Amino acid sequence: MIRSESNRFGKTLYILYPGDYFATSANCLLATVTGSCVVVCIHDAARNIGGMGHFILPGAMGTEGIIADDIAKQGIASMEHLMGEMVKQGSSRKSLRAILYGAGVFGSGASAGATSGGNIRFLHEYFSLEKIHVSREDLGGTVRRKIFFCPRTGVSYRKFLKNNNDHSEFMKLENEYISYMFVNKEKCGRIILFD
Amino acid sequence: MKHIMIIDDSPTIRTSVEYALMGLGYPIANAENGSDALKKIAAIKGKGDDVALCIVDVNMPVMDGITFIGEFRKDDKFTPVLVLTTESEEQKIRAGKEAGASGWIVKPFSNQDMVKVVQRLVK
Ligand SMILES: [Mg+2]
Repeated sequence: MIRSESNRFGKTLYILYPGDYFATSANCLLATVTGSCVVVCIHDAARNIGGMGHFILPGAMGTEGIIADDIAKQGIASMEHLMGEMVKQGSSRKSLRAILYGAGVFGSGASAGATSGGNIRFLHEYFSLEKIHVSREDLGGTVRRKIFFCPRTGVSYRKFLKNNNDHSEFMKLENEYISYMFVNKEKCGRIILFD
Repeated sequence: MKHIMIIDDSPTIRTSVEYALMGLGYPIANAENGSDALKKIAAIKGKGDDVALCIVDVNMPVMDGITFIGEFRKDDKFTPVLVLTTESEEQKIRAGKEAGASGWIVKPFSNQDMVKVVQRLVK
């Protein structure tokens, strides 16, 4: 993530890279660009706190639902990082709503479509289990998206990118992140026993 | 009867842990934050039942996991408490240990690892 003070918006702009998550109550803007990854914007209207997470579920999900699915565990952990940041800012799950973007289909072959479909299904199941209302979603398709989100107001703005070369640096980072996630799709966290 | 108490603000995580531990045969109790858990544990003990293990998240509204462990340890020095969190900073892990945690698992977890750790702690 990078932070920029001098920009055309007149407030601090945080640019999130693939794999990043961030939550704040500051009067600022969060922005990112996504192709295949999903971008989740969360807003707590009761406390004027917002956050954004940029991640991917590394592969297609099985049909048993996210609780029984090993790939979904990676997505749940990504959401946990974002929700943990929201809680640290003083937010509670009860007053949240979500806006969902991304999961575009890129590359040829069935796996690209299956990954996009799996990511979309993951998000729907996750937010339904969490009982968090999804107030807006724009998912799938063969489009890259640039997203702005104001964490205080919860207002988001999405632009379809016409020229892929405009954001070639971002696309390179996204591809690196996606490759890393696919290679480490069974990655688990550390286990420490204190005795 | 001894319960396993799962304390996490995320219903998805609570259900995932319950799913992983299904085969162990323990009755499962749930709470969505530390304060909710203390009340439910008191109710379980009040009925003459007990808690075999607490599995607790760190970042939760109302009462976080580290505070919960400190409170729980005031009158229970022995029941194991396993922390399950995305937090992996050494400082946080040390705080958990000092509060009285028995172990620390960083999310995501594999179901087999969870079962192994739980079996070892409840022994
Ligand atoms: Mg939590």
